Amino acid sequence: MMNAARTRIPLPRRIRPLTALAAAGLLALTGCSTTSTGAENSAAPVDAVIDNCGTEVDTEAAAPERIVTIKSTSTELLIALGLADRVIGSAFQDGPVPEEWATAAADIPVISDFAPSQEAVLELEPDFVFAGWESMLTAEAAGDRDSLAGLGIGTYVAPSACKEAGYQPGKLTFDEVFAQIAEAGRVFHAQKAAADLVAEQRSALEAIESDDRGLSALWYSSGTDTPYVGAGIGAPQMMMEHLGLTNVAADVDDTWSPLGWEAIIDADPDVIVLVDASWNTAASKIELLESNPATAALGAVQSARYLVVPFAAGEAGVRNVSATADLAQQLAAVDVE
Amino acid sequence: MIPDDERVDSMSAQQLSVVLGGRAVVDAVDADLRGGRLTAILGPNGAGKSSLIRVLAGIGRPASGALSWAGEDWFATSRRDRARVAALVEQDVNAELPLTVRMAVALGRTPHASFLAGPSRRDDEVIDAAMADAGVTGFAHRQISTLSGGERQRAHLARALAQEPRLLLLDEPTNHLDVLAQLTTLALVRDLATRNGLAVVAALHDLNLAVAFADHVVVLDAGRVRASGPPAEVLTPDLILRVWHVAATVLTHPVSGAPVITFDRPERTHP
Amino acid sequence: MRTARPPRILLASITLAAALLASIAAAVTFGPADIRFDEVWASIGSHLGLGATPLSPLRDGIVWELRLPRVLTAAAVGAGLAISGAVMQAITRNPLADPYLLGLSSGASLGAVAVLVLGVSVLLPAAAFLGALVALAATLLIAGSGSALTPSRMILAGIAVSSLGAALTSFVIFWTATGDSYREIISWLLGSLAGARWPAVAIAVAAVVVIGIPLMIGGRVLDAFAFGDTSAAALGVSVARTRWVMLVGTALLTGGMVSVSGSIGFVGLILPHAVRLIVGAQHRALLPLAALSGAIFLIWCDTAARALFDPRELPVGIVTAVIGAPVFVLLLMRSRRFA
Repeated sequence: MMNAARTRIPLPRRIRPLTALAAAGLLALTGCSTTSTGAENSAAPVDAVIDNCGTEVDTEAAAPERIVTIKSTSTELLIALGLADRVIGSAFQDGPVPEEWATAAADIPVISDFAPSQEAVLELEPDFVFAGWESMLTAEAAGDRDSLAGLGIGTYVAPSACKEAGYQPGKLTFDEVFAQIAEAGRVFHAQKAAADLVAEQRSALEAIESDDRGLSALWYSSGTDTPYVGAGIGAPQMMMEHLGLTNVAADVDDTWSPLGWEAIIDADPDVIVLVDASWNTAASKIELLESNPATAALGAVQSARYLVVPFAAGEAGVRNVSATADLAQQLAAVDVE
Repeated sequence: MIPDDERVDSMSAQQLSVVLGGRAVVDAVDADLRGGRLTAILGPNGAGKSSLIRVLAGIGRPASGALSWAGEDWFATSRRDRARVAALVEQDVNAELPLTVRMAVALGRTPHASFLAGPSRRDDEVIDAAMADAGVTGFAHRQISTLSGGERQRAHLARALAQEPRLLLLDEPTNHLDVLAQLTTLALVRDLATRNGLAVVAALHDLNLAVAFADHVVVLDAGRVRASGPPAEVLTPDLILRVWHVAATVLTHPVSGAPVITFDRPERTHP
Repeated sequence: MRTARPPRILLASITLAAALLASIAAAVTFGPADIRFDEVWASIGSHLGLGATPLSPLRDGIVWELRLPRVLTAAAVGAGLAISGAVMQAITRNPLADPYLLGLSSGASLGAVAVLVLGVSVLLPAAAFLGALVALAATLLIAGSGSALTPSRMILAGIAVSSLGAALTSFVIFWTATGDSYREIISWLLGSLAGARWPAVAIAVAAVVVIGIPLMIGGRVLDAFAFGDTSAAALGVSVARTRWVMLVGTALLTGGMVSVSGSIGFVGLILPHAVRLIVGAQHRALLPLAALSGAIFLIWCDTAARALFDPRELPVGIVTAVIGAPVFVLLLMRSRRFA
């Protein structure tokens, strides 16, 4: 079992399946409810109550059965953990789920295409709200965490999205992403599924060959006059590093950041990663780059050295690994003379 | 007085009416406002003095009646040409933005200024002379907002004089002035009338000032002309009682022999 | 006792014009990319047919396609906003007036935001411009209905239209902002010159030349409004017609500015006052000098916005306020014109 603290001792690979089996066995014995003695063999003791962006979440409370998810990363995480049938509604999704999860996702009712109101959420009588952005758990959206708690509704925010100092992760790493999946497993009483998922993703990640050509890249998310790009400490940086790409905005201490065109042109990235969203497509970004006389001169634009990543996969979540793998494939096909 | 054979322009109003908000504030007024003399428009509050002055200045059209200057239809000329002839000194007005006295007086040259050219030497001479006449030369570079009410009034007079008007209209010009300033202002404008042949028309409150300085008075009451003529003849106790509802006694100044109007306290109607 | 005003104005104009040219020349050399002064000017020269550029195509593009258009647009927008602000202050006889008073800014914002949300951002300048005009028309209709078009009515109507425009804009943002599209919108609302390319230069300069210059020339008549409508009429000015002409002119000019740069605040409000503190309120001097000062001011604010926090950029509207307010306070304290 993994511990929710920042530093942890990774278990050697060959021990993990045994641990998982033991944990599963114990879970089965105790009837799917966590015990306070914990079941793992790893070194450090585990706190039942975790500090999630300033709000306490008791992992030993009853397992959430009626979950509302907001933002794609939350929905997809739960589907990946096999908990799709416990999701009674989703809101503010960022795009379609990957094919493998499409059937599961199809059964989840959509509450709202945008931030849902508190009433719309409460109407479904959830017992838990899982939000991908902190701003979704405020009075203006689904409701603030304290008042929801007062109604007996638990809440959880994706830890990578915490804005307050002390909660915002320093530089995001895959280990961190996996730790968050594991933590989610505890919160939603799906520790085994989480562990399996992490194992699966970890091996997939290791299978990715990073590019050794020493290329630089721009992660272009949105913006026309002033582009909004993946900067130094977020998911884009994490993925680009794994791909062997140097982020032109690596020095900017932020997850995403606006960056002037001049700085980008000066850096002359070899490759441009385009975030594809329905409201801001990769195609529209290409058109912008080509029509702007200053950027049209970039080598990456002239040779169309573009990589495309879907929006939801660009935020920290269960799709990062597969996105990175996909990007690696695209990158391998790119020819840089 | 300027002899009659010298060309002196006059304004003539015939059955002039001005309607505001459905009411005739000036009602079928006939008036002969001759050049070369000071005409005082008198009347209680709300009699229509200001409205009459405004329409004489060419601001706001009359509802009916005729108004002519030097024999020509006043409203047939362009606004700009009218401003080259007639100047208006309003009751106290303020500027929102910073302006020195000289700049304010220089505005009087606006109707004469050409579109593109800057102020000419002649403009400067006229401005200087106007300031000297109005007695504001000493304040030339002060902000107009820093002047007292009386000083500001004189600055506005200077502005009007800078227009080189033939018809000078004043709306209660003595309101904020101390006694000396009242007398000197009226003496000045009368002088302009008699010496330069200007037609000067002033709406006044103070009957004694009218008697002392005006050559001709027009008494308005509820928009209508009640009487007009030389002040000594027109301002009888009887008229004063009927129009101002105040009992008056007309005395004779022991030194000059001019009429002096004194007012009796109104009777107390309630204990 | 004649003040030698004309020569003084001329001298001030020439000095400021020279300062403007120097500012353009200098500002183009600032930026995140490290390009030498002489290289910058060689590059510009090459585009004007004088010799070849010493820079790589990319870096040449930085100078000619990014920096130069941006600096020129800043100059034009600064000039245009200053002229509009000064004229607006004279027409409404209100020292707190700015170019956006009569709903122009919120109308433009609504047009711009609608277009950004619909995803046809290429139409943005046109939409912003149209939005400004529609808002102005609404303001004038409301103010002029049933009564004469007085300054106070215009201001009140403008407040109403502005509030409505702002509310609708907020509604559109709230309703449709997905993912991170709201960033683009906020950036536009705060005012930014980051998107200024050569088409923007054309629009801004055209607006200043075609509308701003006539406004400056005709603006002399604004002096007559100093003491109110009656005085102006008595001075031979056609009050209603002048007001309409000036308003439409200002609206067109402001609309043009807003369409390329969003609503950059502070320039139109404070710069006329700052110039008045130094040269007085006569519009013959005020308008051209305010235009030149506005151009110089905005060039430097924009340079700071894009170069100070390299490689990040601030919206220029923030910089204009942060720089301008203290400078204005300083001027105010040192001046004796305001009693």
